[in-house]
Amino acid sequence: MARPVNPHAMTPSRPGRTRTAPPQAPNGWYAQPRMLRYLLFDATGIVYLLVGFVALRVVWALGSGPAAWAELMRQLRNPLYVAFHLLALVCVVFVAVRFFRLFPKAQPGHIGPAKPPPGPVILAGLYAAWIGVTLVVTAILAGWVLR
Amino acid sequence: MKHLLLKLEPLIWLLFGQGILIGTMLLTGWILVVGVLAPMGLVSQGALGFARAHSLGSSLLGRLFLLGLLVLPLWKGAHHVRSLSIDFGGVERDAAVASLLYAIAAVGSLLAVVAVVRL
Repeated sequence: MARPVNPHAMTPSRPGRTRTAPPQAPNGWYAQPRMLRYLLFDATGIVYLLVGFVALRVVWALGSGPAAWAELMRQLRNPLYVAFHLLALVCVVFVAVRFFRLFPKAQPGHIGPAKPPPGPVILAGLYAAWIGVTLVVTAILAGWVLR
Repeated sequence: MKHLLLKLEPLIWLLFGQGILIGTMLLTGWILVVGVLAPMGLVSQGALGFARAHSLGSSLLGRLFLLGLLVLPLWKGAHHVRSLSIDFGGVERDAAVASLLYAIAAVGSLLAVVAVVRL
């Protein structure tokens, strides 16, 4: 059903000469593919909040000693935790791909006297950084390096 | 409250933006190893043993890594859930929802600092 949307979302910069009806969201607005992707991007926030608190629990256990750490590692083997982390992994990849594509478009025309690099260069840099950091973190945590 | 939120907006957006950019970069490898590979027994037993994990986590770089990993995703999460709440619930209750979400992120961030310091 159509319903009013954020009244500030479509406010013209200057009042028009004629009065207009307040904006209305069309029926099924959330199911339109562009909106659905946008909403899913926002919904990853729920997973980020949860994963942040799970990570906090992990670090807290690390500071609490070997027994707490061993107990937490045992709990993380629960299939529900593994399924949650698989979902979190999908969310993180989705956020990265969507945000990296958006990032070059959000750059200002110039920063002081300098112009930002072309979009494809920024995009390639972001992917290189993401893959690089992920490889380093994975290699260290998995014990492939710094044993 | 609305006025305070507007005043804090630059700080919130900084943490939110870095939550997406740096938080995502740090989280990917962390989730992969700590959340998936290690529980499934796909990394060696000693890799996440207490002695090695504590030695890695309590180094200066380890502490910085953990601080970014714990704090930034909370702010990304809080801000995006706020956005989701506006999309479905409108702006009328935004001040209350936003205050609650940012309070959760702020408390989590404080706990994260304590967790990293006590390593």
